[in-house]
Amino acid sequence: MSLLLSLAMRNLGRNRRRTVLTALTVTLGTALLTLALSMLNGILGATLEKAAGMAGHVRVVDVDYARREQLMPLAENLPDVAAVLAAVQGQPHVLAAYPHIAMGVTGAREDQEIGERFALLHGAPEAYYRDVLHLDQFLASGAMPTADDEALVGRAFAEEIEAKVGDSLIVFGQTQDGSPAPARLKIAALVDLGSTTQNRQIWVAMSKAQWMADLDGGATEVLIQTDDFERAVDVAAGLRDLPALATYDVHAWDERSPYDQIGGLMTAIQSIAASIIVFITGLGVLNTMFMSVLERTAEIGVMRAFGLRRWQTVLLFFFEAFVIAALGGAVGIALGATGATIFGRVGIHLGEGASKMPATIPINETIYPHLTPDILVTGFMLGLAMAVVGGFLPALRASRIQPIDAMRQHR
Amino acid sequence: MRNFILACLLVLPSVAQAVTVDEVLAKVDSNLTYDTRESSLTMTVVKSGRTKTYKMHSYGRGQEEMAMEYLEPARDKGTKMLKKTDELWMWLPSVEKTQKISGHMLRQGLMGSDMSYEDLMESSRWRDMYGGTVAGEETIDGHKVWKIDLTAKDTTVSYPKRVIWVDQSNYIPVKQELYALSGMLLKSWTMTDVRLIEGKEFPMKMVITDKLQAGSTTEITFDSVTFKVALQDEVFSTRWLER
Repeated sequence: MSLLLSLAMRNLGRNRRRTVLTALTVTLGTALLTLALSMLNGILGATLEKAAGMAGHVRVVDVDYARREQLMPLAENLPDVAAVLAAVQGQPHVLAAYPHIAMGVTGAREDQEIGERFALLHGAPEAYYRDVLHLDQFLASGAMPTADDEALVGRAFAEEIEAKVGDSLIVFGQTQDGSPAPARLKIAALVDLGSTTQNRQIWVAMSKAQWMADLDGGATEVLIQTDDFERAVDVAAGLRDLPALATYDVHAWDERSPYDQIGGLMTAIQSIAASIIVFITGLGVLNTMFMSVLERTAEIGVMRAFGLRRWQTVLLFFFEAFVIAALGGAVGIALGATGATIFGRVGIHLGEGASKMPATIPINETIYPHLTPDILVTGFMLGLAMAVVGGFLPALRASRIQPIDAMRQHR
Repeated sequence: MRNFILACLLVLPSVAQAVTVDEVLAKVDSNLTYDTRESSLTMTVVKSGRTKTYKMHSYGRGQEEMAMEYLEPARDKGTKMLKKTDELWMWLPSVEKTQKISGHMLRQGLMGSDMSYEDLMESSRWRDMYGGTVAGEETIDGHKVWKIDLTAKDTTVSYPKRVIWVDQSNYIPVKQELYALSGMLLKSWTMTDVRLIEGKEFPMKMVITDKLQAGSTTEITFDSVTFKVALQDEVFSTRWLER
């Protein structure tokens, strides 16, 4: 084995240019992989953080509401929100908690007949709109509401009813008991979140939504912000132990649909990106290793004639590829980590268009690659994988060389 | 011969008692319809463990016209409804606006009750809407009733199938089961506390249960009913709604 290893090391020095070229291919691939995984980590991390914020890192709802939440059953509410807020505030890792009401409404401009133009109406404290949804950053026109009868209206819905800032809007919903809940609102601003679905929403003061839903002092859910959205599951588990929340459904954002699928989606996206880079880099290694096999066909023939077995031939080329990959991978990891660290500080500006993406996939204008030890290990391991992928076929071909044929060809 | 006469005597009473569904429905229609009516009602809705009570005053003229004003609770006070043939309008005092109830909204419960706006809109007589067979005789609360299976002549009605139990003594459908075309039971509807008012047998209490919503039930009690009242045309106009 040590003979094979020393032979492999000697062979690497025989054609230094090719060895350097192969190592550079692996270096480039590994560096690219490290940077790409860091960027994806940064993008998805920021996106998930925003999504988790909108959904509430941890959410407290009635058990029946959780079971039928697609129907937005107002009757399955939290009647004493103040008690829930008092219970969660001050708990470890809890930064803030906001009551929230969501209800389906139809709406029309003052001078129009109330028809079948549907919108999703939200009621929450202004702090939730500013600090969590950042709606003040998405105003297409107008300003944030200053009175309880003012509303933020999604641009798509406003366009549908041909309404503008300052117009009077009549919304028609139902109370928790199902009786009519009409309200007159003044449009304070139009909100553009980038997608038609997201722009078919109306945001009103909590007191207005409570009146409409006939939920005096109540809400359909309490959304809790924590200091680390990635540890929300632990916070949720801790909150579930509170006696005041014992009868409610308390779950972290990534324990609830559709967010519980996102972890798998993230892994899939990273795997696809990694596979593409490994494949392309592997092709580069494959090419240079094949050249090496072709150049050394006669030599391999002689070695095979002197008793080198087929598996030893495979191992010889495998060792060569492995050493190149280890060297190239180490340098590549260092380069990729340096790039990820620099970009992680200064950020990569994607332009304003990125922030106009649908709010369910909220992307920042500037992305910051996020390098983790996992990525370094993954990058290095995949660098070795590139060598295995690229070196395997040439090694196999070398092992199949018949000594007599090899020596005849290169006579 | 003596045996033949005996057989005839045994058979004759059952022939005399046999009724047709048309005859029963005609008498049921006669009880449940009117030329004009003024009434005060209390509607108690129990849903998801909550109880909400509404007080209303209503006016009706024939099967086509109905006007109703909500008096309680305070939140809904002044809300008015007007039914004109196949159209239903609602006056919303808090926004001073008239809302036509149409499309999907018709299937929703009247003020969240188990009675839908569609139920309120039903204006045809049962005899015109349904045909069926007498499925048998039963006893409910000591009263003999006919159990009648009804099938709608036009399947686009709200309830293409009904099973009704009609009190043989007063022709009031004391119990109904309302089915979808698929055969799914949608609602049950009982009519009790029958009183003779101006020559008309009239149920003063109705209980409607939506079978698709567990624990949901609506009780409608007529606090007062007057038939053959003189009603102004204005009551059934949009002017009355917005007054």
